[in-house]
Amino acid sequence: MWTYIARRLLQSLVVVIGVTLVSFVALQIGGDPTYLFVSERATAQEIEVVRHALGFDRPLHVQYLSFLSDLARGDFGQSLSYRQPALGIVLGALPATIELAVFAFVVAIGLAIPLGVVAALKRGTAVDGSITILGLLGQSIPNFWMGIMLILFFGLYLRWFPISGHVPFLTPLLAGDVVTAVTNLPRTLYFLVMPGLTVATYSLARNTRLVRSSMLEVLGQDYVRTARAKGLAETTVVVHHALRNAWMPVVTMVGLEFGFLLGGVVVTETVFSYPGIGRLLFNAINQRDIPLVQCGVILLAANFILLNTLVDLVYARLDPRVALARSRR
Amino acid sequence: MRNLRYVVALGAALALIGGALMVMRSGPRATTSTVVVGLSADITTFEPANISSRDNMNIAHHIFDSLFELDANGTHLPALAREMAISEDGLAYTYTLREGLTCHDGEALTAEDAAYSFNRIADPANRFTGNAPGFVFTSVGFKQAEALDPLHVRITIARKNPIAFGLLTEISIHCKDSYEKMSLDQAATAPVGSGPYRLVSWTRGSEIVLEKAGNVGAFDRIVWRIIPEASTRSAELIAGNVDIITNVAPDQIDAINGSAAAAVQAITSTRRMYLGFNQAESFRQTPGGRAIQDARVRRALQYAIDVPTICKQLLHVECERATGLVNKVNANPRLTPYPFEPATAERLLDQAGWPRGAGGVRFPITLQAGRGRYLNDANVVQAIGQYLKDVGIDVNVELLEWASVYTPLIRQRNAGPLFFLGTGGALWSPIYDMNDIARVDSGTNYANWSDPRWFGRWDALIDAATPEESRRLIDEMLQVFYDDGPWLHLYFQPDFYGVSKRITWQARPDERVYAYEATPKG
Repeated sequence: MWTYIARRLLQSLVVVIGVTLVSFVALQIGGDPTYLFVSERATAQEIEVVRHALGFDRPLHVQYLSFLSDLARGDFGQSLSYRQPALGIVLGALPATIELAVFAFVVAIGLAIPLGVVAALKRGTAVDGSITILGLLGQSIPNFWMGIMLILFFGLYLRWFPISGHVPFLTPLLAGDVVTAVTNLPRTLYFLVMPGLTVATYSLARNTRLVRSSMLEVLGQDYVRTARAKGLAETTVVVHHALRNAWMPVVTMVGLEFGFLLGGVVVTETVFSYPGIGRLLFNAINQRDIPLVQCGVILLAANFILLNTLVDLVYARLDPRVALARSRR
Repeated sequence: MRNLRYVVALGAALALIGGALMVMRSGPRATTSTVVVGLSADITTFEPANISSRDNMNIAHHIFDSLFELDANGTHLPALAREMAISEDGLAYTYTLREGLTCHDGEALTAEDAAYSFNRIADPANRFTGNAPGFVFTSVGFKQAEALDPLHVRITIARKNPIAFGLLTEISIHCKDSYEKMSLDQAATAPVGSGPYRLVSWTRGSEIVLEKAGNVGAFDRIVWRIIPEASTRSAELIAGNVDIITNVAPDQIDAINGSAAAAVQAITSTRRMYLGFNQAESFRQTPGGRAIQDARVRRALQYAIDVPTICKQLLHVECERATGLVNKVNANPRLTPYPFEPATAERLLDQAGWPRGAGGVRFPITLQAGRGRYLNDANVVQAIGQYLKDVGIDVNVELLEWASVYTPLIRQRNAGPLFFLGTGGALWSPIYDMNDIARVDSGTNYANWSDPRWFGRWDALIDAATPEESRRLIDEMLQVFYDDGPWLHLYFQPDFYGVSKRITWQARPDERVYAYEATPKG
């Protein structure tokens, strides 16, 4: 297993370097960012001074190699717009996004599994039809529209939930301020309800359909029929025999889901004025804040790679055939 | 019996959730001691010398005061200084400070601190790139600041400048001792100011909390919330959670006005919107680029655009078309806005030697614009393109990404040959507005205009001995600009602010949002 992890980490390094190269080139082909950091009345000489100060007067390959060299020392550079270390800014926004992603993840997976199982068990009934239609709707509704509708109905009309904002839980917790974190927790959850549901909707719908189809496949297998023929309780058949074997595709998707949730909350964070990493990166891209974008992209890519590796390990744990195949090789 | 247990449990759970919701609803709402402002864009720094956006400067102005300030009508008023004197040669500005001033940390604010605030901006070691060094100091030709005694500070500039007094109001004043101890990083996040409010907290991307530091302002606290999405800002205003919002989307005006909580203030801003005729050498190779070199063509096209209809249909306001590059209060009174007369446009184009050819086309030309920067900009540009097509111009409209594509084109003076742009203006001096095109090689002469009748009068204008002489020269220059200038005159951008009915606050035309001017009603 350790060899496998080491190999994956090595592969990850190549992927991260590839990610940095792609994002660097993508930001550079937009043109010289210097103009965004000088006054509109700046003279050519003043523009040149700023260009030099920002390092954009160097050849592109030198800029990139310099970035990689700094990165190897753990230096992500200074944000061009905030004039602060980029890593600190990204890490400052990360806890809010993790809170949102975890909330959405728990809602999505927590509901998707029972809904998918019920839909499979009640195949062809009105219950199955309703869940399937809701699943289709959940995958079809754009999340910006969903967010605005939630704001209008639950925020403005019923006034049940706050329209926007965020109360931090992880930030004080990580700072060692447990009392504030615990005190904040109820309000953290309260503020997370609407953005969390917005983010969770698509994931919930997709995973419900996945669990349903996976369960349907498993429920038709001989060993399930055998279990029933042995006179086992239906709950035991479903939970211990069917669901356990229906996990495989679900685990793969669920593992990646968290990565998607972390990186894919830009629109929701904007609609709900949620100060997370998605909105930070969106603004950074607009401001051509290259160090900040690079830092955020690298952290998100690393997170994705880590989750992928974890999924592989869990996969091997759940299905002995996967581990067997590896050892034979 | 079992069902009854479920019903009781469900009822208890609902009551618990309801109770929790009631308790937690005491969120970040506006209160009697707090005024909440919803902004569309985040801020990046509290280092005054690195601030370059209006939103950022608006908040900073609550923390840092200036020597003098400009009110909503453009009147030059004392602030930290009570008097200002200009030397005979116009190169030295001496300010007399009020007595007993202090910074937020209690340090006495003297002329030495004021001089330090200026000189620190100009120090190349600090590599500041904000509006103060990049625009104000460049425009006035700042040389140095020196304390003459504890109450008098003298600012010296390199050349006479009739608008220097107004530009210097942009400089934020702070205390020397505190800033000398700070690193640049600390200065960017933990300002020690001299203004009416001090910083309590800044949660990046979320909110900035200020508390009252003196006698100015009716509210103890001002909370600036960053709410990028326009519909969310409107919802927060209607829900009573914020008191003032900026950049109300036109399609939400009715919803806000229809609520009991708030109303929209529409105000004509000083931002001048125009279509530039870029006369750069590089465009002369194209038919369109060549055509607009001719002042007769530029004048003809003025008649082709129905600006009042654009304002009414796309910007949701009635507007009067601009006659030039200065705001209406400072415009040449003899000039009247060009009317919408497509027939006149066609006749003048014929006379200029650009008759309709095959397919009714006179010449092709590219019209470039950035997307999402100004109010309804994409639709306005499409409408202008259609109006020009109607008089035989084959317009290729290119809507470009603002930050990475359009801004570099504009700043390199290479957009166009037709380009859509807005530029901030002022009420306090026509010369401020005209200063965009002060020299042929000015960075803001985006149209590469070079008419000697305009540029030849600048030196005389700067040296004008009397206001009457200055006004005469200005009117002459504005006439040239009206007849043969590099702008197709459009409108002054309307700004929409949402204001809660629980407060009294008046929006300003200069895009400055000063929440300390808000007062509670009743």
